[in-house]
Amino acid sequence: MNRTKRLGRLGGLAASAAAAAPFAWLWVLQMRNADDPLTAQARLDMAIWMAVFGTPWMLAAWLLWRAWWRQAGAQLATLDGPGWLLAAAVATLPGDRRDWGAAMTAELAQVPDGAARWRFAVGCARTTVFPPGGSRAPVGVAGALAVVAIAATALGAGAALPAGRVFALTFVGLVGGLATQAVARSRRVGGAGPGPAVAGLALAGVAGCLAFTIYYLAEHPFYDGVDLAVAVSLPPVTAMVLAVALAGCLGLALRPPRWLVGDRLARWFGIAMAIALVGGFLLDSRLVQPGLERGSHGMMGYLLNGPLLVILPGSAAAAAVGRSFRSGLWACAWAVVLAAPLLIAAWLAEALRWDQVGRGLVLDGAGPLGVGANLGNAIWWPLTFLVLWALPLGVLGAAAGGTWARRRRAREPADVVPAP
Amino acid sequence: MVSSRRPSEQATTVILALAEQPATWQYAYELCQRLDLNAGTLYPTLMRLADRGLLETTWEPAVPAGRPPRHRYRLTGPGRVLAGRLAAEPTARPAPARVAGGVGRRPRPEGT
Repeated sequence: MNRTKRLGRLGGLAASAAAAAPFAWLWVLQMRNADDPLTAQARLDMAIWMAVFGTPWMLAAWLLWRAWWRQAGAQLATLDGPGWLLAAAVATLPGDRRDWGAAMTAELAQVPDGAARWRFAVGCARTTVFPPGGSRAPVGVAGALAVVAIAATALGAGAALPAGRVFALTFVGLVGGLATQAVARSRRVGGAGPGPAVAGLALAGVAGCLAFTIYYLAEHPFYDGVDLAVAVSLPPVTAMVLAVALAGCLGLALRPPRWLVGDRLARWFGIAMAIALVGGFLLDSRLVQPGLERGSHGMMGYLLNGPLLVILPGSAAAAAVGRSFRSGLWACAWAVVLAAPLLIAAWLAEALRWDQVGRGLVLDGAGPLGVGANLGNAIWWPLTFLVLWALPLGVLGAAAGGTWARRRRAREPADVVPAP
Repeated sequence: MVSSRRPSEQATTVILALAEQPATWQYAYELCQRLDLNAGTLYPTLMRLADRGLLETTWEPAVPAGRPPRHRYRLTGPGRVLAGRLAAEPTARPAPARVAGGVGRRPRPEGT
């Protein structure tokens, strides 16, 4: 076995091990932090759950590594440190500066070995991270607007909605930073974008989340926690997680990286999957469980089944139709990015309805804690399941669809050969 | 349209260096060495000059097997006009001579 092959296999094993490590660590943590000594059965049950979530991630990590290694990894294995640094930096360049990245890469080949290569690569990497804009004035204006928005939010949220101050400041700060960075990194505002459907869906999801979050913070800032102690509906860490998720989704949807924009088919599959996932959630919440007793059912089951029914086959179909593993991957990525804010908004909307009809919490039907308890659940649970469950399922689906398309393509020439 | 704003000190240095042999295509690494500029200073300057229509860029036509084509640079017509104007200004400094030591060191301010 040659060195490149050996490195590829070792890398695959390392990627799988790295994907499994957080789940193993989580299991150990649960064992250590348990209040009562756990029975062997409880330990086994937890290990099974960790395996259920960890195995798809291990397989997905291995598949992703293999696809990357086939595409670029084997070539990168021949590079030295400065070559690696420059290749990674060049990959972040905006589309309209791609030629300059190729120019830097070609020029590095002329630099003799040693410290000069590192200095040249570091200098180029600095340029790729902060490429010059056409004019500094728009960047200054964007930065100044961001600062004004943050200051106004600090004052406004502090007075009008104290419970939402951390969320509002983090969200406005992140959006302002992303907008300033987008202006700084591109000479042409409004270049190749993801299209109105993606932008509209993302904006609708984020606007829905913001509207419901503000409503919850204004009307239900607290709920009855453990032992009836008053708990805050949106603790600081949860507020920051929501702000990062919403700003990230908005940034990815409105100014996506160039590798995510190219595949139009994947984008439409992603949109369809996001709508199906959120539509399924609403349907499951409204039609399947009417009239159930409090505490009997929640939407936890849908978080497990929804991605299995939507993301796995959807990504497989995208890869099969697009005839590539990548099409399935990008479709899954778009689905997760677009579904996250929509799912949170849908969860919060349904929580109000569930509360009105006395069905308890949306997560598991538990109650009575107060409707405010749904706010944290609506943020943590959909995000956790989308990242831990839907993403690896999408990778597995994309691999299955890609393999099917490759086999079909391999059979095609035989089909068109005329009979002798 | 070419801006009438005066270029920065680094851009002036690069423009004057390119104007020494205006018809010859030049390479980034050689410019780095010749002007003792870091790649992190030279490339943004080249990008800005190209964006402003002062710099012409092209890829090497004949490339030996085993290496990618290199990017080459020379001044455009407006770039040469600007170079002439900068050279005539009393404050314009001539391009520094080649300094041994290669890429990566910025020219130190005088008196340091």
